Amino acid sequence: MANLDYAYRRLLNTLGPERVARSEFERMVYSHDFASVPKIALLQWRLYPDFVALPKTSEEVSALVKLSDESLLPITPRGGGTGWYGGSVPNRGGVLFDMRRMNRVVGLDPDGRTVTAEAGVTWKELEDHVESKGFALRTVPLNAIGSTVGGAINSASVGFGGLRGGSLRDSVANLEVILPDGSLLKTAAAADAGGQLADLTPLFLGAEGTLGIITKAVLRLVPKPEVTKPVTYGFAEPAAAARYLKGIVDAGLAPYHAALIDRDHFVFERALRPDSPDPVDLALVAVQGSKDEVSDQEKTLDALAKEYSGTKLPPTVGEGLWRERYNNYSARRLSRGLTISYNLVPLRRLPEAVETALRLRDKLKLNGSVQAHLVDTTTAALQPYVLMDDTKPSGGTALGFVKRMGDAAFKLGGHSMGLGLFLVFNLRKMHGNATGAYSAVKGVFDPRKKINGGKTFEVWTKYPWPGIRAIPPPGMAIGLEVAALLRRAKPTRDRFVRTYEASKGG
Amino acid sequence: MGLLRDWNYVERAVQIPALSEVIREALIRALFVRDDRVLPADLIGDLNRVPRVTVKVKDDGEVRKLVRVLNGEESTVSLGLNAEDYHYFRTQLGVGRTREFGLVPRPRALLTYDWIVPEQRGVQLDFSAYGAIEFAGDGHRAIAQVGATWKQLYDDALSKGHAVPFVPTVPLDFAVGDGLFGDAPFASFRGDFGTYVNGLRTISPYGHRARIGFEEVANNGTAYDLLHATLPLAAEFFVPVEVALRLEAKPANRKTLTYSFEDGPKLSAALDRLSRSGPGIGWVHVTDAVAAKTLRPAVPPEAFTVQLSLAATATGLAAREKAVDAAMAGFKSKGAETPSPFEVPAAAYRKTAEAVGRSVFVGEVRIPAKLLGDFIGKVRAFGDQSSARAGVYASLRDTGIASAFPSFAAPKDRDKVYDLSKGVRTIVSGTPGAAFTSRLAHLWEEEPGFLRRMALLRSLKLEIDAAHVVQPLIAP
Ligand SMILES: Cc1cc2nc3c(=O)[nH]c(=O)nc-3n(C[C@H](O)[C@H](O)[C@H](O)COP(=O)(O)OP(=O)(O)OC[C@H]3O[C@@H](n4cnc5c(N)ncnc54)[C@H](O)[C@@H]3O)c2cc1C
Repeated sequence: MANLDYAYRRLLNTLGPERVARSEFERMVYSHDFASVPKIALLQWRLYPDFVALPKTSEEVSALVKLSDESLLPITPRGGGTGWYGGSVPNRGGVLFDMRRMNRVVGLDPDGRTVTAEAGVTWKELEDHVESKGFALRTVPLNAIGSTVGGAINSASVGFGGLRGGSLRDSVANLEVILPDGSLLKTAAAADAGGQLADLTPLFLGAEGTLGIITKAVLRLVPKPEVTKPVTYGFAEPAAAARYLKGIVDAGLAPYHAALIDRDHFVFERALRPDSPDPVDLALVAVQGSKDEVSDQEKTLDALAKEYSGTKLPPTVGEGLWRERYNNYSARRLSRGLTISYNLVPLRRLPEAVETALRLRDKLKLNGSVQAHLVDTTTAALQPYVLMDDTKPSGGTALGFVKRMGDAAFKLGGHSMGLGLFLVFNLRKMHGNATGAYSAVKGVFDPRKKINGGKTFEVWTKYPWPGIRAIPPPGMAIGLEVAALLRRAKPTRDRFVRTYEASKGG
Repeated sequence: MGLLRDWNYVERAVQIPALSEVIREALIRALFVRDDRVLPADLIGDLNRVPRVTVKVKDDGEVRKLVRVLNGEESTVSLGLNAEDYHYFRTQLGVGRTREFGLVPRPRALLTYDWIVPEQRGVQLDFSAYGAIEFAGDGHRAIAQVGATWKQLYDDALSKGHAVPFVPTVPLDFAVGDGLFGDAPFASFRGDFGTYVNGLRTISPYGHRARIGFEEVANNGTAYDLLHATLPLAAEFFVPVEVALRLEAKPANRKTLTYSFEDGPKLSAALDRLSRSGPGIGWVHVTDAVAAKTLRPAVPPEAFTVQLSLAATATGLAAREKAVDAAMAGFKSKGAETPSPFEVPAAAYRKTAEAVGRSVFVGEVRIPAKLLGDFIGKVRAFGDQSSARAGVYASLRDTGIASAFPSFAAPKDRDKVYDLSKGVRTIVSGTPGAAFTSRLAHLWEEEPGFLRRMALLRSLKLEIDAAHVVQPLIAP
């Protein structure tokens, strides 16, 4: 490996001093993503990058990628860093590319109904931009404020709009990518060829930054709907709200968004903001269209809710939740940390999945909330979160919940989401005999494993020596399983919110 | 469909010194029509070497065995054939020689044309007897064996309370698998075939059952979307045996609306508006007078017919219909009585399919909807010039793109098909935002970015099918 000072000078020559960082503080900031990682992980990985580079153009990204052939420093791409699986965190130091300076909306084509954006634009910025021009995005990740276009594509995120506008894959028309050899690739033909003419775009959906650096994306748009109206219904239990979500699909309805939020979420919110809604297990549905269409859909949803013994809640509840839809996890302020388990489950088994999540949370004596939303006509996203205090030694054990919840999702015929650094052990569960075909993709695009090497398919440690250079993925699973066992052995439930304990009879 | 194999063959053929003088396009033509005045005898030999053995699949276990025999892991004895079949199988394949054998699934209905380079003496899989469909009791998913016909899927789904969102733009009697190893033009208003595929049950080139994607959920967050990246060429990476499909609920209220238009500009403007209009539209199908006559012989053909399926709540249907009427402004007449070609009984569907299938089709043209009328005009004029009366079947996507399939009344000989394809390419190349996506168009394309993407796909194929058993690549 070339000398670090030399590498630093070369980086400075490429980007200038303002866009290369190597201070301890900055490196520390980039040493984790949204997931809380116990300090002990530093024994295993060099989570701190050696340098942070902030490119502004595709040419700069290309130059940086080529530079790594000289320096032999590994590359970690990063968007908003809001992922939860360690994808945007280094495992062997190296150069971290913070893509957020590539944050221009390059252009909107009203005729072709597409927008071209640089990879570092956040979804909220992009949404504001296209809406100001009379258009809307087909799908928006739940975390639109922090998440970037490149990061969400690399995570194959799910979120708002899927049931109506299709998946994120359906909305990405083309990508500009800098490949590991520094060359630029457009992943699809310039004209919309419907997946023909060698369209490689899907390979980058969920690639977790292992195939190259996305620098630009062309996304399909729809005309901005005249009205978006959120409505909410209260139910006796979360599983009843889940049955209602399934009922929406069975009735052939396709609202823009349909989610369930359990009452515990509102208990946490209450502890932070006394004016937040009364705790209740609810379904939040957002409908779109012309005024008449929206009112018609609302009536149908009302009637359907009655069939499922739901009660319509005052409009202010839905309006408030909708306004704050991109800020869902303020509960972390109660505990200093929070972890989310992202899973996709068959919609027909959502009620069972919700009950499983609640049971698991209680079994592991955690404070947490269960949430879910519709993804398409067969898929629901199940995303329970639990509170954790990662400054305490016992805090990290909450990660055992993510493992157990993922296992439950597989059992239900679904899967957990994301592999990155922490969840690689799920790869075989996801793809079984086809696993080799998935790793073949990495072999074709990045045979030298320059970009995000040692993740997604394997778990490299920071040590380059044979024998300990990688951990067998099941080893990671054992660690998390031990965490879950420790949680079960813990004599008392976590106590982050007194009212919460009271509501649980504690 | 052997696209990678054909492309690879062409790429290699252009490098042969004896052919270096022949320009690429002329070489493709010679290969396509098997012109022995241009091509050396070796190449003609490759093109004439067709699969000698066809295996009628009844069980995926047979495919697994076959794959293992062909990749050398098991001997032909393990196939459990009687002595006569055993002898036949071995002599036809030429087992014992130092050659690789491949497997190729045979489409049930082929819209355009066969591959250029056949499976070199390998085995052809006939899935026509492998056509069961399993529906989830309380969810909207189906698992269809690849031999199940689209029509059977469509009808069975409706009878079980589901709707199959995609229809074949050109209604031939396709099997579901033809969307994977044929050229079935399945599409809905909201997506292409892939939008509705959750996963494939396949046999890997090593003879294992391998699922690509998932059976009941989307594949987000599970590393690369290998499923959709390979879907148009799936059978060159794996042997797909079953398809897990995402259906929708059968709408309580739906209606088929039919609009006619007198001229192209009005049609185009209406389609462009329609593509921006709200939800509830299942599919939008467009025909010119020539196609309409074949499709609905009992109805006097209009210059252009647009048929669409609309669903809404009981109280909302009227409002949605009004909104669609507004989008379709400029139409000459409107009716709700003309049956859709997809809803008729299976026997009638097959009869129409037979009539439709008599025309020559050269592949799909993707084109902005607002240019469709103009495009149809140009195709018609080209057909007249070429003494091959032309028509067009098309469908509309909510992206504003129409997917158009020119049809020609012409003999199905390869020279004619080639020339008609070239004519369509010329029209497309002069149309901004349009793309010709036929197999020949793939072979003609020389844009460096495209060549690079194809080369990457070829590398991926070689990695995944390292056993060289799933339509293996061959070089001249
Ligand atoms: C509050 C909250 C809510 C969330 N809700 C959801 C949800 O509903 N659904 C969901 O799926 N996820 C959700 N997530 C997870 C996460 O936010 C999303 O996956 C998000 O889209 C990631 O975007 P990011 O820009 O933060 O990416 P990062 O976390 O920075 O990166 C994610 C991965 O992409 C790679 N990457 C980033 N940018 C590039 C690039 N330009 N080129 C190549 N690789 C790149 C990284 O290396 C990493 O592997 C949520 C997270 C939070 C904090």
